[in-house]
Amino acid sequence: MKGLYGLAGLLLLVEALPRLGLVDDGYLPPATRIAAALGDEVVTAGFWQAVGDTLTGWAIGLAIAVVAGVVIGVGIGAVPVLRAATASTVEFLRPIPSVALIPLAVLLYGTDLGSTLLLVVYAAFWQVLVQVLYGVADVDPIAEETARSFRLGAWARIRNVLWPTALPYVFTGVRLAASVALVLAVTAELVIGAPGLGKMIAVAQTSGAVPDMYALIAVTGLLGVAINLAARLFERRTLAWHQSVRGEVAS
Amino acid sequence: MAATACGSSGGSSGETGSDGADQVKVGVIPIVDVAPIYLGKDKGFFANRNIEVSMEAGQGGAAIVPGVVSGQFQFGFSNMTSLLIAQTKNVPIKTVSAGVASTGEQGKDFGAVMVKADSPIKTAADLAGKKVSVNTLKNIGDTTVRESVRKAGGDPKNITFVEIPFANMPAALQEGQVDASWVVEPALSAVKAAGGRLVASNYVDAAPDLTVAAYFTSAKLAGEDADLVKRFTEAINESLTYADAHPDEVRAVLGSYTKIDEKTRGELILPKWPVEINQASVETLAELGRQDGIFEGATPDVAKVLP
Repeated sequence: MKGLYGLAGLLLLVEALPRLGLVDDGYLPPATRIAAALGDEVVTAGFWQAVGDTLTGWAIGLAIAVVAGVVIGVGIGAVPVLRAATASTVEFLRPIPSVALIPLAVLLYGTDLGSTLLLVVYAAFWQVLVQVLYGVADVDPIAEETARSFRLGAWARIRNVLWPTALPYVFTGVRLAASVALVLAVTAELVIGAPGLGKMIAVAQTSGAVPDMYALIAVTGLLGVAINLAARLFERRTLAWHQSVRGEVAS
Repeated sequence: MAATACGSSGGSSGETGSDGADQVKVGVIPIVDVAPIYLGKDKGFFANRNIEVSMEAGQGGAAIVPGVVSGQFQFGFSNMTSLLIAQTKNVPIKTVSAGVASTGEQGKDFGAVMVKADSPIKTAADLAGKKVSVNTLKNIGDTTVRESVRKAGGDPKNITFVEIPFANMPAALQEGQVDASWVVEPALSAVKAAGGRLVASNYVDAAPDLTVAAYFTSAKLAGEDADLVKRFTEAINESLTYADAHPDEVRAVLGSYTKIDEKTRGELILPKWPVEINQASVETLAELGRQDGIFEGATPDVAKVLP
Protein backbone atom coordinates (compact mmCIF):
# COMPACT_ATOMS: atom_id res chain seq x y z
CA MET A 1 0.00 0.00 0.00
CA LYS A 2 2.80 2.38 0.85
CA GLY A 3 4.09 1.94 -2.70
CA LEU A 4 1.04 3.85 -3.88
CA TYR A 5 2.28 7.04 -2.21
CA GLY A 6 5.24 7.10 -4.54
CA LEU A 7 3.02 6.65 -7.58
CA ALA A 8 0.64 9.36 -6.41
CA GLY A 9 3.61 11.66 -5.90
CA LEU A 10 4.86 10.96 -9.42
CA LEU A 11 1.43 11.69 -10.91
CA LEU A 12 1.24 14.96 -8.98
CA LEU A 13 4.70 15.92 -10.21
CA VAL A 14 3.82 15.16 -13.85
CA GLU A 15 0.62 17.18 -13.41
CA ALA A 16 2.36 20.13 -11.78
CA LEU A 17 5.52 20.50 -13.90
CA PRO A 18 3.76 21.48 -17.15
CA ARG A 19 1.01 23.41 -15.35
CA LEU A 20 3.58 25.54 -13.56
CA GLY A 21 5.33 26.13 -16.87
CA LEU A 22 8.54 24.39 -15.76
CA VAL A 23 8.41 22.17 -18.84
CA ASP A 24 6.65 22.84 -22.14
CA ASP A 25 3.30 21.03 -22.08
CA GLY A 26 3.79 20.26 -25.76
CA TYR A 27 6.53 17.82 -24.79
CA LEU A 28 5.31 16.68 -21.37
CA PRO A 29 1.55 17.09 -21.04
CA PRO A 30 -0.03 17.10 -17.55
CA ALA A 31 -0.98 13.70 -16.11
CA THR A 32 -4.69 14.40 -16.53
CA ARG A 33 -4.28 14.92 -20.28
CA ILE A 34 -2.24 11.70 -20.53
CA ALA A 35 -4.99 9.93 -18.59
CA ALA A 36 -7.59 11.28 -21.02
CA ALA A 37 -5.54 9.98 -23.96
CA LEU A 38 -5.33 6.62 -22.21
CA GLY A 39 -9.09 6.66 -21.78
CA ASP A 40 -9.49 7.15 -25.54
CA GLU A 41 -7.06 4.30 -26.21
CA VAL A 42 -8.55 1.62 -23.98
CA VAL A 43 -11.88 1.66 -25.79
CA THR A 44 -10.28 0.77 -29.13
CA ALA A 45 -9.82 -2.80 -30.34
CA GLY A 46 -6.39 -1.91 -31.74
CA PHE A 47 -5.10 -1.11 -28.28
CA TRP A 48 -6.07 -4.49 -26.84
CA GLN A 49 -4.73 -6.22 -29.91
CA ALA A 50 -1.39 -4.48 -29.27
CA VAL A 51 -1.43 -5.41 -25.57
CA GLY A 52 -2.16 -8.99 -26.61
CA ASP A 53 0.69 -8.99 -29.16
CA THR A 54 3.15 -7.61 -26.61
CA LEU A 55 2.10 -10.13 -23.95
CA THR A 56 2.25 -12.98 -26.48
CA GLY A 57 5.83 -12.09 -27.42
CA TRP A 58 6.69 -11.68 -23.75
CA ALA A 59 5.13 -14.98 -22.63
CA ILE A 60 6.45 -17.16 -25.43
CA GLY A 61 9.90 -15.61 -25.20
CA LEU A 62 10.00 -15.94 -21.42
CA ALA A 63 8.83 -19.56 -21.56
CA ILE A 64 11.55 -20.50 -24.06
CA ALA A 65 14.18 -18.63 -22.03
CA VAL A 66 13.13 -20.28 -18.75
CA VAL A 67 13.02 -23.81 -20.11
CA ALA A 68 16.33 -23.39 -21.93
CA GLY A 69 17.93 -21.63 -18.95
CA VAL A 70 16.88 -24.30 -16.47
CA VAL A 71 17.75 -27.29 -18.64
CA ILE A 72 21.11 -25.92 -19.75
CA GLY A 73 21.83 -24.45 -16.30
CA VAL A 74 21.26 -27.75 -14.49
CA GLY A 75 23.14 -29.61 -17.23
CA ILE A 76 26.19 -27.40 -17.05
CA GLY A 77 26.01 -26.78 -13.31
CA ALA A 78 25.84 -30.40 -12.30
CA VAL A 79 28.97 -31.33 -14.22
CA PRO A 80 32.02 -29.43 -12.87
CA VAL A 81 34.04 -29.96 -16.06
CA LEU A 82 31.31 -28.44 -18.22
CA ARG A 83 30.87 -25.59 -15.82
CA ALA A 84 34.56 -24.69 -15.95
CA ALA A 85 34.63 -25.06 -19.73
CA THR A 86 31.64 -22.78 -20.36
CA ALA A 87 32.24 -20.11 -17.71
CA SER A 88 34.18 -17.74 -19.97
CA THR A 89 31.76 -18.25 -22.89
CA VAL A 90 28.81 -17.36 -20.66
CA GLU A 91 30.59 -14.28 -19.36
CA PHE A 92 31.42 -13.29 -22.95
CA LEU A 93 27.91 -13.69 -24.36
CA ARG A 94 25.91 -12.44 -21.38
CA PRO A 95 26.75 -8.74 -21.57
CA ILE A 96 26.03 -8.46 -25.32
CA PRO A 97 22.96 -6.23 -25.47
CA SER A 98 20.02 -7.91 -27.12
CA VAL A 99 19.31 -4.82 -29.24
CA ALA A 100 22.66 -5.30 -30.95
CA LEU A 101 21.04 -8.35 -32.56
CA ILE A 102 18.34 -6.27 -34.26
CA PRO A 103 19.89 -6.45 -37.76
CA LEU A 104 20.15 -10.23 -37.40
CA ALA A 105 16.57 -10.46 -36.17
CA VAL A 106 15.33 -8.43 -39.14
CA LEU A 107 17.24 -10.55 -41.65
CA LEU A 108 15.84 -13.74 -40.15
CA TYR A 109 12.28 -12.75 -39.32
CA GLY A 110 11.48 -9.30 -40.75
CA THR A 111 8.96 -7.55 -38.54
CA ASP A 112 7.33 -10.78 -37.39
CA LEU A 113 6.93 -12.12 -33.89
CA GLY A 114 10.16 -14.06 -34.50
CA SER A 115 12.19 -10.84 -34.30
CA THR A 116 10.68 -10.00 -30.93
CA LEU A 117 11.29 -13.55 -29.69
CA LEU A 118 14.94 -13.54 -30.71
CA LEU A 119 15.58 -10.39 -28.68
CA VAL A 120 13.46 -11.46 -25.72
CA VAL A 121 14.90 -14.96 -25.48
CA TYR A 122 18.49 -13.76 -25.78
CA ALA A 123 18.08 -11.22 -22.99
CA ALA A 124 15.98 -13.35 -20.64
CA PHE A 125 17.91 -16.60 -21.06
CA TRP A 126 21.06 -15.33 -19.32
CA GLN A 127 19.05 -14.08 -16.33
CA VAL A 128 17.74 -17.58 -15.74
CA LEU A 129 20.92 -19.44 -16.63
CA VAL A 130 23.15 -17.50 -14.26
CA GLN A 131 20.74 -17.86 -11.36
CA VAL A 132 20.42 -21.60 -11.99
CA LEU A 133 24.19 -21.91 -12.03
CA TYR A 134 24.40 -20.13 -8.67
CA GLY A 135 21.61 -22.32 -7.34
CA VAL A 136 23.33 -25.51 -8.40
CA ALA A 137 26.61 -24.33 -6.89
CA ASP A 138 24.80 -23.71 -3.60
CA VAL A 139 24.00 -27.40 -3.04
CA ASP A 140 25.22 -28.50 0.37
CA PRO A 141 28.15 -30.89 -0.23
CA ILE A 142 27.18 -32.93 2.83
CA ALA A 143 23.67 -33.46 1.50
CA GLU A 144 25.17 -34.41 -1.86
CA GLU A 145 27.58 -36.87 -0.18
CA THR A 146 24.76 -38.31 1.91
CA ALA A 147 22.68 -38.86 -1.22
CA ARG A 148 25.63 -40.58 -2.87
CA SER A 149 26.24 -42.85 0.10
CA PHE A 150 22.58 -43.85 -0.02
CA ARG A 151 23.38 -44.81 -3.64
CA LEU A 152 20.82 -42.48 -5.15
CA GLY A 153 21.10 -42.31 -8.95
CA ALA A 154 21.92 -39.11 -10.84
CA TRP A 155 18.27 -38.37 -11.59
CA ALA A 156 17.20 -38.93 -7.97
CA ARG A 157 20.02 -36.68 -6.74
CA ILE A 158 18.91 -33.90 -9.13
CA ARG A 159 15.29 -34.32 -8.04
CA ASN A 160 15.82 -34.60 -4.28
CA VAL A 161 18.95 -32.62 -3.56
CA LEU A 162 19.88 -30.28 -6.37
CA TRP A 163 16.46 -29.10 -7.46
CA PRO A 164 15.08 -28.09 -4.02
CA THR A 165 18.25 -26.11 -3.38
CA ALA A 166 18.27 -24.45 -6.78
CA LEU A 167 14.55 -23.67 -6.89
CA PRO A 168 14.61 -20.31 -5.06
CA TYR A 169 17.41 -19.20 -7.39
CA VAL A 170 15.38 -20.36 -10.38
CA PHE A 171 12.46 -18.24 -9.23
CA THR A 172 14.68 -15.21 -8.76
CA GLY A 173 15.96 -15.81 -12.30
CA VAL A 174 12.43 -16.09 -13.65
CA ARG A 175 11.34 -12.92 -11.88
CA LEU A 176 14.31 -10.97 -13.29
CA ALA A 177 13.79 -12.53 -16.71
CA ALA A 178 10.10 -11.63 -16.71
CA SER A 179 10.87 -7.90 -16.39
CA VAL A 180 13.74 -8.00 -18.85
CA ALA A 181 11.58 -9.90 -21.35
CA LEU A 182 8.93 -7.18 -21.23
CA VAL A 183 11.50 -4.43 -21.78
CA LEU A 184 12.93 -6.27 -24.77
CA ALA A 185 9.52 -7.14 -26.23
CA VAL A 186 8.55 -3.46 -26.23
CA THR A 187 11.98 -2.42 -27.53
CA ALA A 188 11.76 -4.85 -30.44
CA GLU A 189 8.36 -3.50 -31.37
CA LEU A 190 9.54 0.08 -30.99
CA VAL A 191 12.66 -0.25 -33.11
CA ILE A 192 11.84 -3.00 -35.60
CA GLY A 193 8.12 -2.39 -35.90
CA ALA A 194 6.96 -5.83 -34.78
CA PRO A 195 3.28 -5.57 -33.80
CA GLY A 196 2.51 -4.55 -30.22
CA LEU A 197 2.56 -1.63 -27.79
CA GLY A 198 6.07 -0.59 -28.81
CA LYS A 199 4.98 -0.12 -32.41
CA MET A 200 2.03 1.97 -31.24
CA ILE A 201 4.44 4.13 -29.23
CA ALA A 202 6.62 4.56 -32.33
CA VAL A 203 3.63 5.56 -34.46
CA ALA A 204 2.48 8.03 -31.79
CA GLN A 205 6.00 9.49 -31.71
CA THR A 206 6.30 9.98 -35.46
CA SER A 207 2.78 11.44 -35.52
CA GLY A 208 3.56 13.98 -32.83
CA ALA A 209 0.74 12.54 -30.69
CA VAL A 210 2.50 13.31 -27.40
CA PRO A 211 -0.25 12.54 -24.82
CA ASP A 212 -0.92 9.23 -26.61
CA MET A 213 2.75 8.37 -26.54
CA TYR A 214 2.98 8.93 -22.77
CA ALA A 215 -0.27 7.04 -22.22
CA LEU A 216 1.13 4.00 -24.02
CA ILE A 217 4.44 4.29 -22.18
CA ALA A 218 2.48 4.34 -18.91
CA VAL A 219 0.71 1.16 -20.01
CA THR A 220 4.05 -0.63 -20.49
CA GLY A 221 5.03 0.53 -17.01
CA LEU A 222 1.80 -0.81 -15.55
CA LEU A 223 2.32 -4.12 -17.35
CA GLY A 224 5.77 -4.31 -15.78
CA VAL A 225 4.33 -3.75 -12.31
CA ALA A 226 1.63 -6.36 -12.91
CA ILE A 227 4.16 -8.90 -14.16
CA ASN A 228 6.43 -8.35 -11.19
CA LEU A 229 3.55 -8.66 -8.71
CA ALA A 230 2.34 -11.83 -10.39
CA ALA A 231 5.84 -13.33 -10.37
CA ARG A 232 6.25 -12.56 -6.66
CA LEU A 233 2.88 -14.03 -5.81
CA PHE A 234 3.64 -17.17 -7.79
CA GLU A 235 7.04 -17.47 -6.12
CA ARG A 236 5.52 -17.13 -2.67
CA ARG A 237 2.82 -19.72 -3.34
CA THR A 238 5.10 -22.35 -4.85
CA LEU A 239 7.96 -21.82 -2.42
CA ALA A 240 5.77 -21.59 0.69
CA TRP A 241 7.67 -24.51 2.20
CA HIS A 242 11.08 -22.94 1.66
CA GLN A 243 13.19 -21.20 4.28
CA SER A 244 13.63 -18.05 2.16
CA VAL A 245 9.88 -17.47 1.83
CA ARG A 246 8.96 -18.55 5.35
CA GLY A 247 11.50 -16.07 6.65
CA GLU A 248 10.06 -13.32 4.45
CA VAL A 249 6.50 -13.96 5.62
CA ALA A 250 7.48 -14.02 9.29
CA SER A 251 9.32 -10.70 9.24
CA MET B 1 -4.60 -13.41 -40.28
CA ALA B 2 -3.36 -15.90 -42.84
CA ALA B 3 -1.09 -13.22 -44.23
CA THR B 4 0.80 -12.77 -40.99
CA ALA B 5 0.95 -16.47 -40.27
CA CYS B 6 2.87 -17.35 -43.41
CA GLY B 7 5.40 -14.60 -42.97
CA SER B 8 8.19 -16.43 -41.25
CA SER B 9 8.82 -18.83 -44.10
CA GLY B 10 11.15 -16.25 -45.60
CA GLY B 11 10.50 -17.02 -49.24
CA SER B 12 11.27 -14.15 -51.54
CA SER B 13 8.21 -14.43 -53.73
CA GLY B 14 4.83 -13.68 -52.22
CA GLU B 15 2.79 -16.38 -50.59
CA THR B 16 -0.50 -17.32 -52.16
CA GLY B 17 -3.57 -16.84 -49.99
CA SER B 18 -6.56 -19.14 -49.73
CA ASP B 19 -8.43 -17.07 -52.30
CA GLY B 20 -5.57 -17.35 -54.77
CA ALA B 21 -4.35 -13.74 -54.38
CA ASP B 22 -0.61 -13.09 -54.06
CA GLN B 23 0.15 -12.00 -50.53
CA VAL B 24 2.57 -9.14 -50.58
CA LYS B 25 4.22 -7.47 -47.62
CA VAL B 26 5.53 -3.94 -48.05
CA GLY B 27 8.02 -2.42 -45.61
CA VAL B 28 7.08 1.22 -45.03
CA ILE B 29 7.65 4.01 -42.53
CA PRO B 30 4.32 5.10 -41.03
CA ILE B 31 4.52 8.70 -42.25
CA VAL B 32 2.67 10.97 -44.67
CA ASP B 33 4.78 9.86 -47.67
CA VAL B 34 3.22 6.40 -47.90
CA ALA B 35 -0.42 7.51 -47.72
CA PRO B 36 -1.03 6.42 -51.36
CA ILE B 37 -0.39 2.75 -50.65
CA TYR B 38 -2.84 2.76 -47.73
CA LEU B 39 -5.35 4.62 -49.87
CA GLY B 40 -4.77 2.26 -52.80
CA LYS B 41 -5.35 -0.74 -50.57
CA ASP B 42 -8.65 0.74 -49.34
CA LYS B 43 -9.70 1.52 -52.91
CA GLY B 44 -9.02 -2.03 -54.04
CA PHE B 45 -6.28 -1.11 -56.54
CA PHE B 46 -4.19 -4.03 -55.30
CA ALA B 47 -7.04 -6.50 -54.89
CA ASN B 48 -8.10 -5.75 -58.49
CA ARG B 49 -4.72 -7.06 -59.59
CA ASN B 50 -4.95 -10.15 -57.43
CA ILE B 51 -2.59 -8.77 -54.79
CA GLU B 52 -3.39 -8.91 -51.09
CA VAL B 53 -1.12 -6.16 -49.76
CA SER B 54 -0.16 -5.65 -46.12
CA MET B 55 2.04 -2.91 -44.74
CA GLU B 56 4.82 -3.63 -42.28
CA ALA B 57 5.65 -0.36 -40.61
CA GLY B 58 8.87 0.18 -38.72
CA GLN B 59 10.34 3.28 -37.16
CA GLY B 60 12.97 5.03 -39.24
CA GLY B 61 12.98 2.33 -41.85
CA ALA B 62 16.16 0.64 -40.61
CA ALA B 63 14.49 -2.71 -41.24
CA ILE B 64 13.22 -2.01 -44.72
CA VAL B 65 16.21 -2.62 -47.02
CA PRO B 66 17.46 -5.73 -45.17
CA GLY B 67 13.86 -6.93 -44.91
CA VAL B 68 13.37 -6.71 -48.67
CA VAL B 69 16.74 -8.25 -49.50
CA SER B 70 16.14 -11.19 -47.16
CA GLY B 71 12.68 -11.71 -48.63
CA GLN B 72 10.74 -10.90 -45.46
CA PHE B 73 9.02 -8.14 -47.44
CA GLN B 74 8.40 -8.36 -51.15
CA PHE B 75 8.60 -4.59 -51.57
CA GLY B 76 9.84 -1.65 -49.57
CA PHE B 77 9.69 2.12 -49.46
CA SER B 78 12.91 4.06 -49.04
CA ASN B 79 14.43 7.41 -49.85
CA MET B 80 16.58 7.61 -52.99
CA THR B 81 19.84 8.35 -51.19
CA SER B 82 19.46 5.20 -49.07
CA LEU B 83 18.83 3.20 -52.24
CA LEU B 84 21.89 4.74 -53.88
CA ILE B 85 23.96 3.92 -50.79
CA ALA B 86 22.69 0.34 -51.00
CA GLN B 87 23.69 0.24 -54.68
CA THR B 88 27.26 1.35 -53.94
CA LYS B 89 27.43 -1.53 -51.47
CA ASN B 90 26.17 -3.91 -54.16
CA VAL B 91 22.96 -4.67 -52.31
CA PRO B 92 20.75 -6.33 -54.96
CA ILE B 93 17.74 -4.01 -55.16
CA LYS B 94 15.75 -2.38 -57.93
CA THR B 95 13.14 0.38 -57.80
CA VAL B 96 9.74 -0.57 -59.19
CA SER B 97 7.89 2.74 -59.01
CA ALA B 98 8.08 6.30 -57.78
CA GLY B 99 7.37 6.84 -54.09
CA VAL B 100 7.08 10.48 -53.21
CA ALA B 101 8.33 13.77 -54.62
CA SER B 102 8.98 17.31 -53.50
CA THR B 103 6.26 19.83 -54.30
CA GLY B 104 8.96 21.86 -56.01
CA GLU B 105 7.68 25.09 -54.43
CA GLN B 106 10.01 27.21 -52.31
CA GLY B 107 8.59 27.60 -48.82
CA LYS B 108 5.73 25.22 -49.55
CA ASP B 109 7.38 21.81 -49.49
CA PHE B 110 6.68 18.98 -47.04
CA GLY B 111 10.23 19.18 -45.71
CA ALA B 112 12.19 22.28 -44.70
CA VAL B 113 15.03 23.62 -42.61
CA MET B 114 13.52 25.47 -39.66
CA VAL B 115 14.89 27.75 -36.96
CA LYS B 116 13.41 29.37 -33.85
CA ALA B 117 11.53 32.61 -34.38
CA ASP B 118 14.25 34.71 -32.71
CA SER B 119 17.18 32.95 -34.39
CA PRO B 120 19.89 35.11 -35.97
CA ILE B 121 19.86 32.69 -38.93
CA LYS B 122 18.02 34.47 -41.74
CA THR B 123 18.96 32.49 -44.85
CA ALA B 124 20.48 29.12 -45.63
CA ALA B 125 23.88 30.82 -46.02
CA ASP B 126 23.80 31.61 -42.28
CA LEU B 127 23.75 27.89 -41.51
CA ALA B 128 27.51 27.77 -42.12
CA GLY B 129 29.27 26.71 -38.94
CA LYS B 130 26.01 25.96 -37.17
CA LYS B 131 24.51 22.82 -35.63
CA VAL B 132 21.74 21.32 -37.73
CA SER B 133 19.67 18.25 -36.90
CA VAL B 134 18.79 15.57 -39.45
CA ASN B 135 16.98 12.28 -38.84
CA THR B 136 19.82 10.18 -40.27
CA LEU B 137 23.42 11.23 -40.75
CA LYS B 138 25.04 10.82 -44.18
CA ASN B 139 21.75 10.59 -45.96
CA ILE B 140 19.29 12.64 -48.00
CA GLY B 141 18.84 15.22 -45.23
CA ASP B 142 22.39 16.46 -44.85
CA THR B 143 23.24 16.27 -48.55
CA THR B 144 20.23 18.37 -49.57
CA VAL B 145 20.71 20.83 -46.70
CA ARG B 146 24.31 21.35 -47.85
CA GLU B 147 22.99 22.13 -51.34
CA SER B 148 20.64 24.76 -49.89
CA VAL B 149 23.62 26.37 -48.17
CA ARG B 150 25.71 26.30 -51.36
CA LYS B 151 22.86 27.78 -53.43
CA ALA B 152 22.45 30.59 -50.91
CA GLY B 153 26.16 31.36 -51.23
CA GLY B 154 27.26 29.83 -47.93
CA ASP B 155 29.96 27.30 -47.11
CA PRO B 156 28.47 23.97 -46.03
CA LYS B 157 31.82 22.54 -44.89
CA ASN B 158 31.63 23.47 -41.24
CA ILE B 159 28.02 22.58 -40.53
CA THR B 160 27.75 20.11 -37.68
CA PHE B 161 24.97 17.64 -38.39
CA VAL B 162 23.37 15.98 -35.40
CA GLU B 163 21.17 12.89 -35.60
CA ILE B 164 17.78 13.35 -33.90
CA PRO B 165 14.50 11.57 -34.77
CA PHE B 166 12.05 13.92 -36.54
CA ALA B 167 9.58 13.53 -33.68
CA ASN B 168 12.10 14.96 -31.19
CA MET B 169 13.19 17.87 -33.36
CA PRO B 170 10.54 20.42 -32.33
CA ALA B 171 11.70 20.03 -28.72
CA ALA B 172 15.40 20.00 -29.64
CA LEU B 173 15.01 23.23 -31.59
CA GLN B 174 12.95 24.85 -28.85
CA GLU B 175 15.47 23.93 -26.17
CA GLY B 176 18.36 25.25 -28.25
CA GLN B 177 20.13 21.90 -28.56
CA VAL B 178 20.51 22.69 -32.26
CA ASP B 179 20.53 25.93 -34.24
CA ALA B 180 18.34 24.58 -37.02
CA SER B 181 16.41 21.42 -37.84
CA TRP B 182 15.59 19.70 -41.08
CA VAL B 183 12.05 18.43 -40.53
CA VAL B 184 9.34 16.82 -42.62
CA GLU B 185 5.61 16.70 -41.96
CA PRO B 186 4.02 16.34 -39.43
CA ALA B 187 7.00 17.57 -37.37
CA LEU B 188 7.23 20.54 -39.75
CA SER B 189 3.73 21.64 -38.75
CA ALA B 190 4.65 21.20 -35.08
CA VAL B 191 7.69 23.46 -35.46
CA LYS B 192 5.61 26.06 -37.29
CA ALA B 193 2.94 25.91 -34.59
CA ALA B 194 5.64 26.61 -32.01
CA GLY B 195 6.60 29.74 -33.93
CA GLY B 196 9.45 28.30 -35.99
CA ARG B 197 10.68 30.08 -39.11
CA LEU B 198 11.57 28.49 -42.44
CA VAL B 199 15.06 29.22 -43.80
CA ALA B 200 15.31 26.72 -46.67
CA SER B 201 13.31 24.26 -48.72
CA ASN B 202 16.18 21.83 -49.10
CA TYR B 203 14.43 19.37 -51.42
CA VAL B 204 13.51 22.24 -53.72
CA ASP B 205 17.05 23.59 -53.64
CA ALA B 206 18.54 20.19 -54.40
CA ALA B 207 16.76 19.61 -57.73
CA PRO B 208 13.58 20.63 -59.53
CA ASP B 209 10.75 18.24 -58.64
CA LEU B 210 13.07 15.98 -56.67
CA THR B 211 12.07 12.34 -56.42
CA VAL B 212 12.55 11.85 -52.69
CA ALA B 213 11.73 8.17 -52.33
CA ALA B 214 10.69 5.13 -54.31
CA TYR B 215 9.22 1.66 -53.91
CA PHE B 216 11.73 -1.08 -54.58
CA THR B 217 12.12 -4.84 -54.58
CA SER B 218 14.97 -7.32 -54.46
CA ALA B 219 16.74 -8.19 -57.70
CA LYS B 220 15.84 -11.79 -56.93
CA LEU B 221 12.08 -11.19 -56.88
CA ALA B 222 12.33 -8.88 -59.91
CA GLY B 223 13.94 -11.75 -61.82
CA GLU B 224 11.74 -14.56 -60.53
CA ASP B 225 8.31 -13.03 -60.57
CA ALA B 226 8.23 -10.25 -63.13
CA ASP B 227 4.47 -10.57 -63.39
CA LEU B 228 3.95 -9.83 -59.69
CA VAL B 229 6.30 -6.85 -59.91
CA LYS B 230 4.42 -5.57 -62.97
CA ARG B 231 1.03 -5.87 -61.23
CA PHE B 232 2.38 -4.24 -58.06
CA THR B 233 3.82 -1.36 -60.08
CA GLU B 234 0.49 -0.84 -61.85
CA ALA B 235 -1.37 -0.87 -58.54
CA ILE B 236 1.02 1.55 -56.86
CA ASN B 237 0.95 3.86 -59.88
CA GLU B 238 -2.83 3.96 -59.76
CA SER B 239 -2.58 4.67 -56.03
CA LEU B 240 -0.08 7.51 -56.54
CA THR B 241 -2.24 9.12 -59.21
CA TYR B 242 -5.34 8.76 -57.07
CA ALA B 243 -3.63 10.22 -54.00
CA ASP B 244 -2.31 13.17 -55.97
CA ALA B 245 -5.81 13.96 -57.20
CA HIS B 246 -7.61 13.46 -53.87
CA PRO B 247 -5.80 15.35 -51.11
CA ASP B 248 -8.84 15.21 -48.82
CA GLU B 249 -8.86 11.43 -48.95
CA VAL B 250 -5.13 11.41 -48.25
CA ARG B 251 -5.70 13.52 -45.14
CA ALA B 252 -8.47 11.16 -44.08
CA VAL B 253 -6.45 7.95 -44.62
CA LEU B 254 -3.62 9.39 -42.51
CA GLY B 255 -5.93 8.96 -39.55
CA SER B 256 -6.03 5.21 -40.15
CA TYR B 257 -2.32 4.41 -39.78
CA THR B 258 -0.84 7.40 -37.94
CA LYS B 259 -1.91 9.24 -34.83
CA ILE B 260 -1.59 12.67 -36.36
CA ASP B 261 -4.42 14.72 -34.86
CA GLU B 262 -7.24 15.93 -37.06
CA LYS B 263 -6.25 19.58 -37.00
CA THR B 264 -2.69 18.85 -38.14
CA ARG B 265 -3.95 16.42 -40.78
CA GLY B 266 -6.06 19.19 -42.23
CA GLU B 267 -3.22 21.69 -42.32
CA LEU B 268 -0.03 19.85 -43.17
CA ILE B 269 1.66 20.29 -46.53
CA LEU B 270 1.19 17.20 -48.67
CA PRO B 271 3.99 16.02 -50.94
CA LYS B 272 3.54 15.27 -54.64
CA TRP B 273 2.96 11.75 -55.89
CA PRO B 274 3.95 11.67 -59.58
CA VAL B 275 4.07 8.28 -61.30
CA GLU B 276 7.41 8.91 -62.97
CA ILE B 277 10.72 8.82 -61.14
CA ASN B 278 12.51 12.04 -62.05
CA GLN B 279 15.75 10.54 -63.29
CA ALA B 280 17.60 13.84 -63.58
CA SER B 281 16.87 14.57 -59.92
CA VAL B 282 18.15 11.15 -58.87
CA GLU B 283 21.37 11.79 -60.78
CA THR B 284 21.68 15.12 -58.99
CA LEU B 285 21.21 13.36 -55.63
CA ALA B 286 23.90 10.86 -56.59
CA GLU B 287 26.26 13.66 -57.56
CA LEU B 288 25.56 15.70 -54.40
CA GLY B 289 26.06 12.61 -52.27
CA ARG B 290 29.33 11.87 -54.03
CA GLN B 291 30.55 15.45 -53.36
CA ASP B 292 29.56 15.18 -49.71
CA GLY B 293 31.24 11.81 -49.26
CA ILE B 294 28.03 9.99 -48.45
CA PHE B 295 28.96 7.03 -50.63
CA GLU B 296 32.38 6.68 -49.00
CA GLY B 297 34.28 7.25 -52.20
CA ALA B 298 32.10 5.15 -54.46
CA THR B 299 29.96 6.51 -57.30
CA PRO B 300 26.45 5.05 -57.40
CA ASP B 301 25.27 3.60 -60.70
CA VAL B 302 21.88 5.28 -61.04
CA ALA B 303 20.85 3.07 -63.97
CA LYS B 304 21.25 -0.03 -61.83
CA VAL B 305 18.83 1.30 -59.22
CA LEU B 306 16.14 2.70 -61.52
CA PRO B 307 13.67 0.32 -63.19
